[in-house]
Parts: sequence; structure tokens; C-alpha cells
Amino acid sequence: MLEIEGLCARAGDFRLEQISLSVADGRCHAVLGPSGSGKSTLLAAVLGTLPATAGVVRLGGRDITGLPMEQRQLGYVPQHLGLFPHLSVEDNLCFSARARRLREAAYRPLLRQLVELTGIGSLLDRRIGTLSGGERQRVALVRALVADPQLVLLDEPFTALNESLRRELWWLMKDLQAERGLTLMLVTHDLTEAYFLADHISVLIGGRQRQNGPREAVYHRPATREVARFLGIRNLFPASVARSEDGWIEADCGVLQARFRLAGEAQPGDRIWVGIRPEEVALRDADHPPRPGERIWSGKAHLIDMGAEAAVRLEIGDGEVQIEMAVSRRAVRRFALADGRRNVTVALPESQLFWMPAG
Amino acid sequence: MKRPPGSALRPSVVAALLVLSIYAGLIVSLFWFLDPGLLQHTLFSERTLFSIRLSLAAATLATVLALLLAVPAAYALSRHDFPGKQATETVLEFPIIVSPAALGAIILIFFNNPLGEWIQENLVYFVFGFAGIVLAQFVTILGLAVRMLKAAFDEVPTDLETVARTLGASPRHVFFTVTLPLAKNGFIAAFILTWAKALGEFGATLMVAGSMAMRTETLPIAIYMRLSSADIEGTVVLILVLVAMGLSALFVARWLLARGGHA
Repeated sequence: MLEIEGLCARAGDFRLEQISLSVADGRCHAVLGPSGSGKSTLLAAVLGTLPATAGVVRLGGRDITGLPMEQRQLGYVPQHLGLFPHLSVEDNLCFSARARRLREAAYRPLLRQLVELTGIGSLLDRRIGTLSGGERQRVALVRALVADPQLVLLDEPFTALNESLRRELWWLMKDLQAERGLTLMLVTHDLTEAYFLADHISVLIGGRQRQNGPREAVYHRPATREVARFLGIRNLFPASVARSEDGWIEADCGVLQARFRLAGEAQPGDRIWVGIRPEEVALRDADHPPRPGERIWSGKAHLIDMGAEAAVRLEIGDGEVQIEMAVSRRAVRRFALADGRRNVTVALPESQLFWMPAG
Repeated sequence: MKRPPGSALRPSVVAALLVLSIYAGLIVSLFWFLDPGLLQHTLFSERTLFSIRLSLAAATLATVLALLLAVPAAYALSRHDFPGKQATETVLEFPIIVSPAALGAIILIFFNNPLGEWIQENLVYFVFGFAGIVLAQFVTILGLAVRMLKAAFDEVPTDLETVARTLGASPRHVFFTVTLPLAKNGFIAAFILTWAKALGEFGATLMVAGSMAMRTETLPIAIYMRLSSADIEGTVVLILVLVAMGLSALFVARWLLARGGHA
């Protein structure tokens, strides 16, 4: 188990402040954030390439904060994979065992098993320069795992790959994790990748941890406006709390001219933001009555076909307020939508709304 | 590589060829004074062979000593931040800014201060001897060696070293199994180029070791001494020997650099 408590680090003028998270054995934790958010600094502090200025990093109950890198029992797959170009694939895979002076019998069975699982048996004699992108990824993963680390750190290793290969490797990573019970910490800026691979997600912005929790909670209930913006949610509307009772609030949203009943605690008069993910906004037939717990708006919408789905932006009133939605291909066909502007009716289900304090 | 049309006529290409013709012309012009009958006699004379042996030994020793210090120094400059780093990097240019003669004079003056005298009396006697030649060449090439090796280490991604450390390798193991093999071509090129520079070193050597026949007479010193005695033909032979040795070294360095990649 990895436990990070109050970790602070400095890289030049950049400060990483008070990071706390834990990764249970056999779980994957994604550290998500835009570039310059401190993801790499956090990774460097866990790896030991950057000293922590405060806080503790524990792995399996052992304080590793001040340990040299080679004693931390970490596996590391950097963005550019870090394969040794002067060594063959097999020499890359055996690097760890040779550095630790292990006997063949101590690591060969595990190596053989990993090579078989990842299907790289035919590559062992090859030079690194002759491998394809996908082959390199597999070799880098196996090399990190042969050392039998307690935690594997993945620093955006799939970023440079095409979509198809990325998905193939995500599945491979999932299979490897299930097969070997791997504990993973993934650093990425890609929400889809984080959601696919991780059980828990921490969002870092500006060197601070803005949210930490199960992936569903982070995805559906962003804690701050910055997190929501980073996660691509532009449907954020200012509102004020009108009533509050028994774990529920009623919030008046002036721009949408609606009152929403939302779960949570706040004081009447508190200013909040109400939001919804674009894919939770539903299209409705113009004459369809609202379902219970739904609010309906009609207006001019602008649609852009994105292939797998369509991005629709509904303008309310004079266009100052916009509701964005991600519409499935099936819905595009069902409502006979096409590129350009047209009238649509949309519904916001209250159950899918989230809110956060303003300021 | 396909050339763009008309590239042979471009002024920049003409300038490049002019550079070649200046140096090639100077070398070819030596043959005007080359006496084939004298070539073998001068080349295999005891004095010339002594100069060649002395030059090879001193340049090789100076280069090895310089690299022994330059390798860790260049690695530290490439990988670490430390107080005095910027000053160290600036001082690497010192032998280029200060003329070799001035550099030699500085060394000579150093051995006239109390510390220098103590070193000469108790450790090694440098002035007017083999050790002086090696020291003069060492000081002249050290900055170049560090700069070239730093560039070679800069080319090795630090991520590779980090990965190697996480795989259980100590910093020493990482240096010898990852960093140095990957900087190999740069290292060999640095060895050859600094060696060639040491071989041709004249000013500092003359100041520290003097010009004594069969004692401190390296090839450049021998050229100077023969020219001083108006022995043009003998001078030409020695110049051709020096040019052949230096150019061979440069061609090997270029070949190694061009080979690039990782063996």
C-alpha cells in the first residue's frame, strides 16, 4: 500500500503543496491534471529524483521518503519509456536482475510468465531501435514488472500512441493488473485513460490537490469549478441557496430561471455553482412533457458532428446562457440532427446535477 | 541526400569550398619544398623519431590524465546543480581566451611561488622536463575535454538513469552500464580531439618545458627549432608528419561521430 501524507516538494519556482493520498494493494490510482499542475513533481518526489521538503511517503508501511531510488522497490515507466537503446530487449528485461545480482532461477520464471502474458517472446533478441511503438510499451512494462516492485509508477506512457494501440494497451494493463495484483499509480492528463485504468483519482491543479476520491465521484461530482473546467464541464451555472433542510437544498438559478432540489448541506443565501456533465443532458421531443425531476429548455442549438458523438450547444434567451451536451450517434439519428443550427428541446435531470460552493 | 538544384553555385557553398581550399592549399604548398631524398633521412633520424615518440607519449598521457578528471567533472556539470557551477563552466573557456603562451607563462610563474617550488622539490619536477610538457598540454586541453564530455553526457536522457535506478542499480552501476555506454561515441571523439590538440600544442609547452633537443623537443617544438635554423626542407617533413597524425585522428573522430546511434 502506498501512503502519501502532506507531501511538499519544490522544483525551481514551482511548489507542490500538501499532497495526501493512498493506493491500496492491487489498486490503480490516477493522478490527473493539466500540464504544469505538479503531476511530474509529485511523481519525482515519490520516485526520489526530487527531495520532499515536507511530508511522508510510505510503501508497505515502510517510510521511503529519504531512501535512495534503488531501495524504494518501485517500478517506473516514464513517458518516453526509458528503454536502454544500447541493449537488446532481453538485456533490458534482465537489467534489474543483473543490477541486483540475482541468480537466474530467482527471476527467470517470473520473466518467462510476463513475456508470455504480453506476447513479446519473439522480440527478445531484437534491438530497441527496431521495435514498434506497441512493442516498446510492452517491453517497458515487462522490464518494470520483472523487478517485482511493490508499486508501479506510470508517467503518461500511452500518450504518444494512436487511439487503437492505446486502447489495446489499456486492456493489457488491466489484464496484467488482475493477473499480478499490481498496485499502480498512473500520472496522466487524459480523463478517459484515468477512468479506464484507475479506481481512485486525484486531481492536481497549480501544485495543489483539488479533489481526491473514487473515480465515479470525481467524474460525476467535481469538487471545484477548476476541477469541473479541467474535466471539460462547461455547464456551470451560478445559483443561490433558497432553502436548506434534512440534507437537501433548493437553489435558485437565475440564468436558467429554475429552482433545483439538490442533495447536500448549505446555508440559505450561500452562493453556489450548479453543473451537469454534457452527456447527462438529454434531448427530448419538442412536445414531450418533462419527466419527474427534470427541467426542460428549448431553443436554437448548434451541432457539430464529431464522429462517435455530436457536440450540441443550446443557446437560451439571447444566447448569453449556453447548455452544452454530448449526444450519441444513436440520438443524432433518432432526432434527425445535422451539422448547423436548429431548434432542439433538452432536459436537465436533477439527479445528475452537482453543485459546489462559489468562491 | 538529394541536393536542391543549383546548390553548387550558391555563395555559401562557394565560401565553404574556399575554407577547404585555404587549408588544403597551405598543406599542398608544403610539397614545393619537399625534398624526396631528404624525406626518409629526416623522418628516420634519431632526433625526429625521438620527437615523434615524445609527442605521442606526452599527448597520450596528458589526454588520459585530462579525461580522468574531465569525466566526473563533466558528469557533475551535466547532471547536478552546485555552488560554483557557473564559474566552473566559464573557466572551461579560459584556455581558449588566454593564448597558450600566456597559459604556459602562468604555469611557469606558478612554479616560482613558494607552493610551486615546494611541489617541484618534493613531488614532481615539472619545469624543463617531460612532466612539464605533459602538464602544459594537460592544462591546455582540460577545458576542451570537459566541454566535449559534458555535451556527450547532456545527450543521454536522464530518464534512462532514473529508470535504471528504480530497477535497483546503484548510481555507480548506472554510470558504467547506462550513461557511459550511451556517451561512448562522444567520449571517443573527445579523446581523439583532445589528443590531437595536445599533439599540436606549442606555446604552453615551449614556456614550461623549453626547447631542448632530444629532451623536450616535441614535434611542434622541433618544427620551431628547424625553422629557426632555416632548415625549410626538414621543417616541411616534420610538418607533414604532424599534419598526417592530426588529420588521421580527426578523420577517426568524424567517422565515429557520423556513425552515431548505439552500437
